[in-house]
Amino acid sequence: MILARHAEALLWVGRYLERAETTSRCLNYAANSITHLRAGEARAEGELMVRTLGLQDELEAVGPLESQPQLVAFLLSDTDNPGSVVSAIVAVRENLRSVRDRIPIELWEEANGLYLRFPFLGHADAAPAGLHEVLLMVRRACLAISGVLNEGMRRDEGHAFVVVGRMLERSIFTVGLLEASHSDARGVMDAARMLRLTSSLQAYHRQHGNAPDTHGVVRYLLHAPDLPRSLLSCLGRAEEGLTGLGPNSAALDRARRKAALLRARLELGEVEEAMASAPVATLQDLAVQLTGLASDVHAGIVPPLAMATVQAQYVRPGGAGKGEGAG
Amino acid sequence: MLSEPRDGLLDRYQPGGAFDEAFDADGSVRDTYSRIVERFRELDVDEIRRLEKLVADEFRRQGITFTVYSEEEGTERIWPMDLFPRLIAAAEWDELARGLSQRVAALNCFLADLYNGGAAAVADGVVPRWLVMSSQCFERNAMGIAVPHSAHCNVAGIDVVRDTDGRYRVLEDNLRSPSGISYVIENRAAMAKACSWLFYDHAVQPTEQYGQMLRSTLQSMAPGGEHDPRIVVLTPGIFNAAYFEHAFLARSMGVELVEGRDLVVDDHKVYTRTIEGLVKVDVIYRRIDDDFLDPVAFRPNSTLGVPGLLSALRAGTVTVCNALGNGVVDDKGVYPYVPEMIRYYLGAEPIIDNVTTYMMWDPDQRREALARLDELVAKPVGESGGYGVLIGPHATEQQLDEARARIEAEPRSWIVQELVQLSTLPSVAEDRLEPRHLDLRPFVLTGERTQVFPGGLTRVAMRRGSLIVNSSQGGGSKDTWVLAPETP
Repeated sequence: MILARHAEALLWVGRYLERAETTSRCLNYAANSITHLRAGEARAEGELMVRTLGLQDELEAVGPLESQPQLVAFLLSDTDNPGSVVSAIVAVRENLRSVRDRIPIELWEEANGLYLRFPFLGHADAAPAGLHEVLLMVRRACLAISGVLNEGMRRDEGHAFVVVGRMLERSIFTVGLLEASHSDARGVMDAARMLRLTSSLQAYHRQHGNAPDTHGVVRYLLHAPDLPRSLLSCLGRAEEGLTGLGPNSAALDRARRKAALLRARLELGEVEEAMASAPVATLQDLAVQLTGLASDVHAGIVPPLAMATVQAQYVRPGGAGKGEGAG
Repeated sequence: MLSEPRDGLLDRYQPGGAFDEAFDADGSVRDTYSRIVERFRELDVDEIRRLEKLVADEFRRQGITFTVYSEEEGTERIWPMDLFPRLIAAAEWDELARGLSQRVAALNCFLADLYNGGAAAVADGVVPRWLVMSSQCFERNAMGIAVPHSAHCNVAGIDVVRDTDGRYRVLEDNLRSPSGISYVIENRAAMAKACSWLFYDHAVQPTEQYGQMLRSTLQSMAPGGEHDPRIVVLTPGIFNAAYFEHAFLARSMGVELVEGRDLVVDDHKVYTRTIEGLVKVDVIYRRIDDDFLDPVAFRPNSTLGVPGLLSALRAGTVTVCNALGNGVVDDKGVYPYVPEMIRYYLGAEPIIDNVTTYMMWDPDQRREALARLDELVAKPVGESGGYGVLIGPHATEQQLDEARARIEAEPRSWIVQELVQLSTLPSVAEDRLEPRHLDLRPFVLTGERTQVFPGGLTRVAMRRGSLIVNSSQGGGSKDTWVLAPETP
C-alpha cells in the first residue's frame, strides 16, 4: 500500500510533467507568433497565452508584460511563477526525489538530467539565446520521461497516481484553452491555433482532411475518443487510473464517480448540446467540475483515519543535517 | 584506449614517510598491487581525465551528491572518487574482519549491559561510572527497553587507519547512524562502468549484496520474531546531507522510505499513513538522531520524529535500529576503554588496537599531552566528521594555546591522541599519481548474527600531506576491493 505522501508526490509529478510540456509548447507558439505582430497585438497575444495557461494571478504579481523577453522570462524561467517551465521541471525533480526509493532509476536520471540542462536556473531574467532549441529539448525530455514512466515503471498505485495527475492537468488545460479562446475580446481564437497548442493539428487533418473550422475543432478537442489531449480521452484515462485506488477512501470514490459522470455527459451529447447554446458558460462549468475532481483526488490521498496533518518541516541546509549524526 | 608502456603517471612516485599500501619503502610494488600498478602505468593523463569525466558524469546524472554545510546554506557537490582503487588481500581482510566483529561484539555487550543488564562493567570499574553518566549521549530513556538478540548496534561503521608499520588501528567507533555505504556501492558501479578492464586481472568480492544483508539483519530484529515484518527506513527528509543514501538503502532493500510525518503512534503501536489507512510497522531503520526521534520524550520542537514512538518502544511493538542510546560509545571519552571491554566481555585480547590516546580528565596524562600538543592530535569527544579536530604539527602557536586553554577548562570534553601518519596510496593529482593519506570505514551488521561487509568506504585526503579525509572537509573516496582468496 502506497504511503499517502508518496501518492501525493507522484500525483504532482504527473501534473508538473504535463505542465512543463504544455507550457513549453505554448511558449514556443507564442514566441513565434509574436514576432510578426505589432506591439499592441503582441501584448494581447501574450495575455491570451497567460489566460490560456491559467496564470493570471501569477502575472498580476509581476505586472503587465511589455515585451517578448518579459513573456519568455515569465513563462520559461521565473521561479516565482509555479506555471513556468523551470518551476515545473524543479517540481518534477523534487517530487521524484522524495519518492526516489520507489521509482525506476532511469526515471530519476531523466528528470535529473533535464534539471541539470538548465544552467540558468534561479536567474529569472536570463532567457537562453536559442529559445526554440531549449523548448524543443524540454519537450523531448518530457517525452523521454513519459517513456520511462510507461515502459519502465511497475503498474502499481504510484504509476496510477502519475497518470491521474497528468490527465487532470491535461483536462484542465484543454478546457482552459477553449474557455480562453471563447472569451477573448478579439473573437473566438483561430481554430488552427487551438489545434497547434494541443499538438493535434496533424491528427485533425488526417482524420477530417479539411481546413479546421472553430466549431469542429472545439468538438474534436472535447469529444474525440482517440485524441490523447481531448477531454473525453483524458477523463477516460483518469477514471481508469482511479479505479482500484483506495477502495476505502470516500473522496477517491467520489472522484471516480465524478470522472465517470463527466465522461458520460460528453459521450451522451449533453455537453455538445449545452455548447451550442452557451459555450462560455458550459466551458466554465466544465472547469469548475474539473477543479472539484482534482480536489477530491487530493483529499482522497489523506488517510481515512484522519490524524492531524504534520506540517512538513524539513531540515534546511545550514540548519542541520543535524537530524542525523554525521557519523 | 590503452597505450604502450612509457614514462608516465607513476614514474616519479615517492611514497614518503607514511606506510604506502602499494609500494614498499624501497619503491618496489607490493604483490597485491602489482597488476593494478601495471595497468595504471599504461595510462596517460589525458586518458585519466577522460575516465574521471565519465565517472563524474555518471554521478551527476544519477544525482549522487553530498551536501557541505557552510555557515548559511548547504552546497550540493558531486561525490568525488579517485580512480586508483584500494586493494585488500584476502588474508589481510579476514584478520581485519575478525577484529571488527570482535570490537562490535564487545560494544554490543557493553550497551546491553548498560541499558538492560545492570551495568556490571561499570560496577566492576571497566568504564568509570561518572564518565558514562556524564556522556551527552547516555540515554536514560533507553534503560529497560528490550532489544532482540541484545543487538543494540545493527549497523556499525568503525573507522580504521594503518600506522607507519602498516598495522590497522581503530580511530573511531560510529554506532549511531554511520553513513557512507551507498557511496561504497556506487563507487563500485562507477568503476565497473568506466574502468571495467581494471577488474579483469582480479577476483574482487562483490558489493551489491548489501541491501539483502541489511534487510535480513533488520528482519531478524522484528519484535516477537515476526517472520515477515514491515520494515521502513526513517529519514529526516530530502534536505538532509545523507538523503541520497537513505533513498538508496530503502530501494535496495525494497522497503518504504518514510519521514516522521508518514508515521503515527496509536495505542503504543507505530503505523504508516497510506492511502488505505494505517498499516503497522515492525522495524524502523532510523537515520535520525535520538534527540529528534520523539518530540514527546526528547526535543519538543522536533518535527522530524514521531510523537509517542518511545511508548511503542517500551511496549515492545516495534524495534528501532540502531537502538536508542548507542551514542554513549561514540563518545570519544569512552573510546579508550573499548580494549578493556573486549577483555572483560569476551575474555580475549583486542585483535585491532586503538590509537594511543590520552584521557584529559587524568591530570598526569593531561600534563604530558599538553606539553607535547604540537606533536599530537586533540579531538572534542562529542564531534564527528572531523569537526573541531586540532592537528598539532599543523597548528599555529595561537591555535595550540587556545586548545590548551579549552582542554584545561573542560577536560572531560577532550581526548588527545598520538598523531598517526595515515597510510598512503597513489591518487590522481595534477598530471600524475601522488601519495595521498587515507582511512577506511568498514561496516559491521549485527542482528541474529554478525556479518562484516567486504571492504568499506575508503576516504582519501585530496591535498598532498593533508590528513583530513572527511568528505565534508574536501576529502574524496576510492573504490575498495577485497580480493577473493585465490588472488595473491
